[in-house]
Formats: sequence, C-alpha cells, structure tokens
Amino acid sequence: MLDGWPVIAPLAILALGGGLIFCLGAFWAGRPSGLLWWLAVLASLAAGLFALSGPATGVYQGLLDVGLYGRLFTGLLALVCLLALLLVRRYALARGFAGEELYGLMLLAALGMALTAGAMHWLAFFLGLEMLSICLYILLAMRKGADQSMEAGLKYFILGAVASSLVVFGIALIYAAGGSLLMGPSLTPAGQAPGGLTLLGLGLVLTGLAFKLSLAPLHVWAPDVYEGAPAPITAFLAAGSKAAVMAALIRLCALLPNGLWPYWVLALWGLAALTMLAANLSALREEKAKRLLAYSSAAQMGYLVMALVGARSGGLSAALFFLVAYALMDLGVFGMLGVLSPVRRDLGRLGELAGLARRHPWRAGFLVLCVLSLAGMPPTGGFVGKLFLFTAAIKAGYLGLALLGALGAAAAFYYYFKVVAAMYLQEPPPGAEEPPTAGPAEVLALGIIAAGLLWLGIFPGWLHGLARAAVATLGG
Amino acid sequence: MLSVPLLSLLILLPLAGGLLALACGGRLRLARGAALITALVELALASGLLTLTGGAAQGPWLLTESAPWLPALGISYSLGLDGVSLLLVLLTALLQVLCVLVSWRQIDDRPGLYYFLLLVIQGGVNGLFLAQDLFLFYLFWELQLIPMFFLVGMWGHEDRVRASFKLVLFTLAGSLLLLLGILGLYASHGAATGSYTFSLAALAGTPPAAGVQGWILAAMLIGFAVKVPLVPLHTWLPEAHTQAPTAGSVLLAGVLLKTGAYAIFRVALPLLPWAAVPAAPVLMVLALAGIFYAGWIARAQEDLKRLVAYSSITHLGLVVLGLAAWDLMSVSGAVLQMINHGLSTSALFILAGLLQARLGTRRLADFGGLWGALPRFSAFFLFFAMASLGLPGLNNFVGELLVLLGTYRASPVAAVAGFIGLAVGVMYVLRMVQATIFGPAREDLAAPDLNSREMLVLGVLAAAVLYIGLHPGPVLELIEGPVRALLAPGPRVALAVF
Repeated sequence: MLDGWPVIAPLAILALGGGLIFCLGAFWAGRPSGLLWWLAVLASLAAGLFALSGPATGVYQGLLDVGLYGRLFTGLLALVCLLALLLVRRYALARGFAGEELYGLMLLAALGMALTAGAMHWLAFFLGLEMLSICLYILLAMRKGADQSMEAGLKYFILGAVASSLVVFGIALIYAAGGSLLMGPSLTPAGQAPGGLTLLGLGLVLTGLAFKLSLAPLHVWAPDVYEGAPAPITAFLAAGSKAAVMAALIRLCALLPNGLWPYWVLALWGLAALTMLAANLSALREEKAKRLLAYSSAAQMGYLVMALVGARSGGLSAALFFLVAYALMDLGVFGMLGVLSPVRRDLGRLGELAGLARRHPWRAGFLVLCVLSLAGMPPTGGFVGKLFLFTAAIKAGYLGLALLGALGAAAAFYYYFKVVAAMYLQEPPPGAEEPPTAGPAEVLALGIIAAGLLWLGIFPGWLHGLARAAVATLGG
Repeated sequence: MLSVPLLSLLILLPLAGGLLALACGGRLRLARGAALITALVELALASGLLTLTGGAAQGPWLLTESAPWLPALGISYSLGLDGVSLLLVLLTALLQVLCVLVSWRQIDDRPGLYYFLLLVIQGGVNGLFLAQDLFLFYLFWELQLIPMFFLVGMWGHEDRVRASFKLVLFTLAGSLLLLLGILGLYASHGAATGSYTFSLAALAGTPPAAGVQGWILAAMLIGFAVKVPLVPLHTWLPEAHTQAPTAGSVLLAGVLLKTGAYAIFRVALPLLPWAAVPAAPVLMVLALAGIFYAGWIARAQEDLKRLVAYSSITHLGLVVLGLAAWDLMSVSGAVLQMINHGLSTSALFILAGLLQARLGTRRLADFGGLWGALPRFSAFFLFFAMASLGLPGLNNFVGELLVLLGTYRASPVAAVAGFIGLAVGVMYVLRMVQATIFGPAREDLAAPDLNSREMLVLGVLAAAVLYIGLHPGPVLELIEGPVRALLAPGPRVALAVF
C-alpha cells in the first residue's frame, strides 16, 4: 500500500488546476482567458510529467493503480488533454466560447479519464466515468448558438445517462455476488466460484462501456455527436474518453477469473465482429467528413476489442500499444478538421476538402499521414499497431475473427482513400472559402502528433516494451 | 563483410532523394535534377554492387545486413542480396533513370511531389527485393502501394480517379489477405517450435504442419496473385496501366508486377513446400488461363496502352507457369522473364506514351503508316514488338524457351498448352504493329520524330534486350545460384496429374 500524496500528484494537479481556473474565472472580473489557457496547459503538462516517474506497481488507498499501468495512462491522458488544449485555443476564441468553463472542464474531464483508467475499485471507477461524462456533456454543447452542438450534447447526455445507470446497476450486482467493491476480489470471491449474478453484472458493465467506446450496436450515437460537437472537442472525446474506458476494459480482461473467461470472450467476440463490420460498412456511404471519421473511430475500437479476445496470450500489450497510436490519430484528424473549419460552422462534406493539397500541401500531407495511419499503412503507428492487433487475435486462435477484421479493413480502404482523393485528386471548386490560418499552438500540436505517429511506426520497440511491462503489472 | 551498409543505402538513397525533390516543390528544374541525380547515383550503386560482388560465385548470398528491430516479437531488420534480388534492383534502378527522363517534358504540374512518389516507389520496391524478414517484407509491400495511387490519380489520363481507386482497393485488399497469411504462418510456426520469428530463413527451415499450410498458402497466393496479376484478379491492371502517366506505366509493368511474382518465388512456395505441391496445378491452370484469355482480349483492344497492358498479363502468366513448375530451368527462366518483361514492355509503354504526347490519341484506329513520318520511332517500335513476341536473338526468346523446357519436365501438357498460348501472342503483336506503323499513312499525322533524349532512353533498353538475347550466360549465372538454393530443400513438385 502506498500512501502519501506524491503518487497521486498528477490527479491532484488536474483537480487543483481545474478548480483554480474556475475560481479565477469567477472572481477575476476580466476573465483573462489567455492566462487561464496557459494555466490549463501547464497543469496538464505538469500532470503528464509527474506521471512519468514512480514505482512499477502500487495502489493508492486501495482505490487507484499508481503503478506503471496507471501512470502510463495518466501520462497518455494528460498528453491528450494537452494536445486538445493546444488545438482548441484559436478555435474557441474565434467562436466565442473560450473561457474558464472550457479549460476548467477539460482538466476535470482529464481527471475523470485518469480516474477511470487507474481505478481498482468499482466506486473510483464509477466516479471517474461520471466525471468524464458530465464534463463532456457540457463541453459538447459548449458552442453557443449552435443548435447542432446543443443537440450533440443532449444526445450524448441522454444516452450516456442510460449507460451510466447500466454500469452502476452492474456494479451493484457484482457487489451483491462478490461482497467486495475492489475490482479483483469482487470478481473472484474467496472460496466460491463466481456465478450468474456476477456474470449479469459484468454484462451490464460491459454494455455501458461498449456505449462509451461506441461498439456496435451501441455506436449509433457517435456520428451525430461527433458531427455536432466542436471539432477539437470531438478530438478530445474520441481520443481521451475512449482511451480511458478502454484502459478499464483491459484491466477487467486481466482481472477476470478463468471461470468467467469463456462467457466474456464470447461477448467480446460478438462486439468486435459486429463493430468491425457495421462501422466500416456504415462509413462507406458517408459523405460528411466528421461522420465518416466517427464511424472510422468506432471501427478502430472494433479492431482493438478483437485483440482483447487474445488477452490470455499477450493481446493486452498489443491493445495498449494501439490505443496510444489511436489517440494520436484521432486527435490528428479531428484536430485538423478544426483547423480547416470556417468560423460559421465545422467542415461538412468531404467535397469541401477538394483541392486542399494544392492550396495547403502541409495540411493535406498531415491529414494523409493520419488517414493512412487509420487505414494501417506504413510507416505509421497505425500500421504497427494494427499488425499487433491482428497478431494477437491469430495467436489466440481466432482466425475467423481476424478474417472478419480484414474484411472490414478492406472495406475501410475505400472510405479512407475517399478522404485522400478529395484532397489530392479533386480540383478546388471556384470561389472556395479559404480556411483560417492556424495558430502556433495548433501547429505545435499537429507537429507533435505527426512526429509521434511516425516515431511509433518506425521505432515501435520502446512503447511496445513499456506496454508489456505495464500489462504485466495487471495480473494481480 | 563491408562496413558501409550498402543494402540499406539502396533503400534509403531513393527515399532521401525523394524528400529532396519534394523540398524543391514546384521548381521544375530543381526537382527534375534532384530526381535524375538520385536515380543515376542509385544506378551506379546497383551496378557497382554487380561488379563488387563479382557475380554468383560465392554462394547464394552476396551481401547481408541484420540488426534487431523488435526482438520481443521476433522481428529483425535483416536484408539479403542474392543474384535474383541484385538483378531486380538493377532493373529497377535502370528503369527509374529512364522514368525520370521520360517524364522530363511530360510532367510540369507539382514536379516535386511527382518525383518524390517515383523515388519512394523505388525505395519501397528495393526494400521488398532485399527483405529477409517477413515483417519487413510486408512493410515494404504496403509502402510501395500508396505512391502509385497518387501517381495514377494525380497525373493520369482522363479516367484516372476511377483507375486509381480500383488499383488501390484491389491491391490493398490483397495485401490484407497476405497479412493474415503471414500472421498465420508466424503464429503456427511459433506454436509448433516455441520461437516466434518472422525470419525467412527460420520459417523456411521448419515449415508448419501440412494441414495449416494450405490455408496460409491460399491467403498469401491471393495477395500475390492480385499483384502479378493472375486471372481472375487482374481487372484493375488494364485500367491502371491505361490511365497512368508513362512513367507510372513503366514502373507498374517493369517493377511493381514483378513484386508479386518475386513474392511467389521467394516467400510463398519456399516457405510452404507441402501446400505448394497441390497448389502448383491450380497456379498452372490460372497462369495458362491468363495467357490465353489476356492474349485473346489483347487482340481486340482499340487502345494501344490497353493492348500492351493485356500483353503484360500474358507475359506474367508465363512467369507464373515457370514458377509453378518449380524446376531449376523453369524457375530460372521465369526469373529471367521478369527482367525481360521489364525491359521490353516498359519500352512499349514508353513508345505508346511518346505517341500519345505527339498525336494526342492512343486509339489504334487513329494511327497507321507511321513508318513514313516517324522512321526512328517505328524502327524502335518494331524492334520491341518483336522482342515482346519472342523473336530468337532477343531477350524474351531465351526466357520463354527456358520456362517451356523446364515446365515440360514437370508437366508436358502444361508446357504444350503454354506454347500454344504464345502463338496467340503472335496475333496481337502483329495486329499492333500492322495498325500502328504499317498500312496506309494518314495524312494529318505530322509530328516530330524521336529526339536525342528519347533515342537515348530507348537505345539503352534496346541494348539490354539485345545483350540478354545474344549472351544470356552471365545473367543466368546470377539467377541460377539462388534458384538452386531455394529449390534444394523443398519437395520436388511432381505433376503427374497433368
């Protein structure tokens, strides 16, 4: 047992930073949004840096994993938050919603994400899940005067509330059966085999998580919400909340007793197969950029869950590696859409990207890098990541599932190349609107993302080693 | 062992040169110059390797390089050069120089990006020809697909977008099956031996159980067959070829199609020897079907580039036939045919491109009687058409003869059928020549004849065609060593069924 506050410093910094920003915004008459933004950036940076060092294993007060696994995700989520902050600044200023609410809520959402990812106790887990969800409900609807944004927030809120209630009911059932709220012991009660009640509870929890991860058939909200939300917030939602929830799912896979594994793997198999097919096929006919990428992001989660069926044969580290690459890719594509969007509304149809390569070769090149990574092409992190995922599924003997995944990925090439074709093969329509100039913060964020994707693709060894070490600490 | 990583240099040099060209952006002269210099240096390097290693005398591997990359997964960065890969690298380097020269006046839109893509293809293909690790192989396999999408889609002719989509969808879907095959092989090898590795040598050393091999081979062969392309997975090729800019067609025919045949030769058949036995007749039937079908279709084409594209399918059908027979002579002939096809078909595509640039059309009906107006062009056209036909004394004759003789030892029926298939080829080549350079001259066909740059390009190719046709010994020597090494461990593919 580790106590003492240094081990939870990253979370404390996020919480204090968020609180401080709210107080400053409320009591400082001028509402200095620039200063508040800097505070938020520093807080997420500090949280990330604090997460870098620490012991390999450790639990804080029985609630939180402060070992390598928890710290890895805290670091990743702080990075996601940092990049999202860099991407959102100019966007929010131009659209009039920059302020303490935005930055404070983003920090608190990141706190919720880190809690979810590191939770070893059902209550901490639920607390984190709710915190990230509630912050996101508001963030999604943040853009004032935009009906679509409001609608997105409301949709996510109503469906999210249902998902939360499923999760909390599931937790109650697991507690009733296992007599403990600690994740591990609750699933493996001493002296008795886990029974149907635990299974039912787990099923409800999984349903709730599947909603958050937009796994089919619970993915239908994603295109609407992604489309309606401000693009940088979409990036934050797609990368951050999914990484956090997936972290919890990976942990559950590691903690699950052998007796329950066959049922669990069946559920994962079904979710993965359905998601890979449904999301990819839905994306084929989509002509709107954000909706297409929403389906793509759902499909990516499908591949990830496919690797989780190989959890018992080393699939977890593959999932972890891919998750990092995925977070960068989705931040990249949605972030770039934010950069390209005119002030009145976000970029809509793919046709609006026509001729981008001629007018803005760097932006088009960046988007191509991200899209190729999503499609799993070298030399990007997405290529290595997808390879790991397929290896994990095949090593575990799920060749049929891998084949389904390959079918989905083959279909996906079509819509990914539609994005590329719009930029490179189509001529810009006469009188096309010139996208706004990107600010230095955005350029920095996009540069970090591009470098990260290439680095993961060419030198995957470091992160892969780290992922293996982190996953190894989960076993207990 | 040499201290300079020459093999990595073969891969990195074009990539670096490509980035340089990209940095030149829209400045035509700079981009063009950077590309030409890179291509020339690469050619010098490849020819240097030929003299440096002194041919095939020292056993199969002339040069190797290896470094750990992801040891936890059994992935290493290991490259190896033998006679076959050397020839293919050399062919690629030669064609690349010609591609840059051919594009000299043709490409003025975004030249930096254009030459970047050309050179990236070269880097990727070289990596593919050198990779001795399946993971690395797959990486380069994927890497060379994307640039072609852009080349066809951005600089191609009227129907380019559709053609580029078809190209990318077919080849990428094929490569996903290949990936599953590779991973299946990796997993089953690891489960059987306890060591998870992507090393080609290790995988070939202990092939997986016979029951699994069939599935893995099927997945891999479909992936490779798309690329070769084998009927019925060929439909993307005529369109891509027809729509691609000249250099794109040259690279596609001269180099990219070879990667499919090379992969069958280097990866699919040696790694899965037991499944290869029942697969051989299937491959042979498909190859023969391609020879007949594509030859027949070629005869009816109205578009010159399309006609040459279909002729590509027949040539590569013969390559696959030779590989499937898995006999020393037939496989050597097949490898030689890969080189030959690269030389003669590339020349025909270049000629078709020159004609289109001059007359603004590719329709056979628009040509005729060019011999009077364009004598130099017509002479080269006739020469390469005859080479493509397999005229004795020119390169294709040697390869075809070896393939058919070798195949005869494995399966006389297939060899005879292949021979008849070649006769179909005579028809379309004669029609092509007749429609283009002979016959009554059309009055309005006034265009300048070949200039010295174009003469140089075609002259180099003609010299290579003549050299291989008249003196194939040294080339075959390079090929035979590696082929012997690959053939040695596997069971002989007896095709008594035929």
